[in-house]
Amino acid sequence: MSDCHDGCDSSRRDFISFTMRLTGGAVVMVAGASALGSSEAPKPEGEAYDWNEHLWAYLVDTTKCIGCGSCVRACKAENDVPEGFFRTWIERYVVGMEDSHVDSPNGGMDGFAPVQVGFVATKSFFVPKICNHCRATPCTQVCPVGASYRTKDGVVLVDTDSCIGCGYCVQACPYGSRFIHPATHTASKCTWCYHRITKGLKPACVTVCPTQARQFGDLKKEGDPVRVAIEHERVQILQGHLLTEPQCYYTHLDKEVR
Amino acid sequence: MEHARHVFRIVLVVVVMLTVVLLARGFLVPKTYGMYGPYRFANVAEQRNARTPLYAGAAACAECHADEAAKRAAGAHKTVNCEVCHAPLGAHVKADGSVVAPPIDRSFTLCARCHRKLAGRPARFPQVDLDQHVNAPVEGKVCLQCHDPHSPKP
Repeated sequence: MSDCHDGCDSSRRDFISFTMRLTGGAVVMVAGASALGSSEAPKPEGEAYDWNEHLWAYLVDTTKCIGCGSCVRACKAENDVPEGFFRTWIERYVVGMEDSHVDSPNGGMDGFAPVQVGFVATKSFFVPKICNHCRATPCTQVCPVGASYRTKDGVVLVDTDSCIGCGYCVQACPYGSRFIHPATHTASKCTWCYHRITKGLKPACVTVCPTQARQFGDLKKEGDPVRVAIEHERVQILQGHLLTEPQCYYTHLDKEVR
Repeated sequence: MEHARHVFRIVLVVVVMLTVVLLARGFLVPKTYGMYGPYRFANVAEQRNARTPLYAGAAACAECHADEAAKRAAGAHKTVNCEVCHAPLGAHVKADGSVVAPPIDRSFTLCARCHRKLAGRPARFPQVDLDQHVNAPVEGKVCLQCHDPHSPKP
């Protein structure tokens, strides 16, 4: 008892505090355990569509785009995209040796009018843009509540029930593909029309494209035109230096395009 | 046995805390959380059924309108989906099977969006320089008065 004059109280406090923290740690372990080690993808019962059998990819041929804006209008109608926001859009590049000009009036929704630039333009072209559905996407990594994820078939989605609208993902996306929906105040983005592709249809933008500048395909299906193009042709991606592994591929892309 | 009482008290506190946390977790964590990573798995099925497709593609239109579809397939507009000019099928045939007349776009604006001469368009794509047109000036005029939309000729 001689060593327990005023040391006892503090060591008991230490003991209790240590036990509490240990318990807390154990609880976190228990809570987190279910989220770990679940790399296999379950298939919802009674669904005709099996996401293990598909891996979607998007292919854009910039030399075919005429800048008509049919895709942007179709996307708006198909997905009720709010005014002033876009899940897909078209950019016009006017490029010369000294300078370049990029514009996208109303996302290219109403087409383009002739434009005057203050330099000698040597080439001009349209580039359709969309969410790249990256394999190593930064937008899902920064989500603090696990509301955004990449599906087994390669589509990056947002769970609007879980989303708290913090906007971190909007900042994290290097392609500007996300926005906060003005009505729901949650993150919103292109879903590659997940409600269509799981029923055997193409995304709305691909369905209406009059020149087949936009193509959509399945990398797990042999002979799929998009898969063949990615396998055998020289395809490019946007901002490859960021190592996000975009699944939206481009052919005949210009150096000016980011 | 003084010590045993202290230990029992602490164990009791720990057990109560664990129970509270586990109960709260049971209520707060969504049922399908963790089935596919740290996300709510049920959302995948929700996204799948989020809405009914609005655009159906030209093949669906051809099921009822075979004549027009054949005309389109033989003409220069064979790659243009019907729904670009005729509005999406979802606005024509409703979910309950009822049919309403679709709002057909016959405007100059619609034609000009694709065919007005623009520097950015591919050179091989048919474009109209509005000032060089045979009936110039044609700006704002209804192109369909002379041109057949299903099989247009220059």
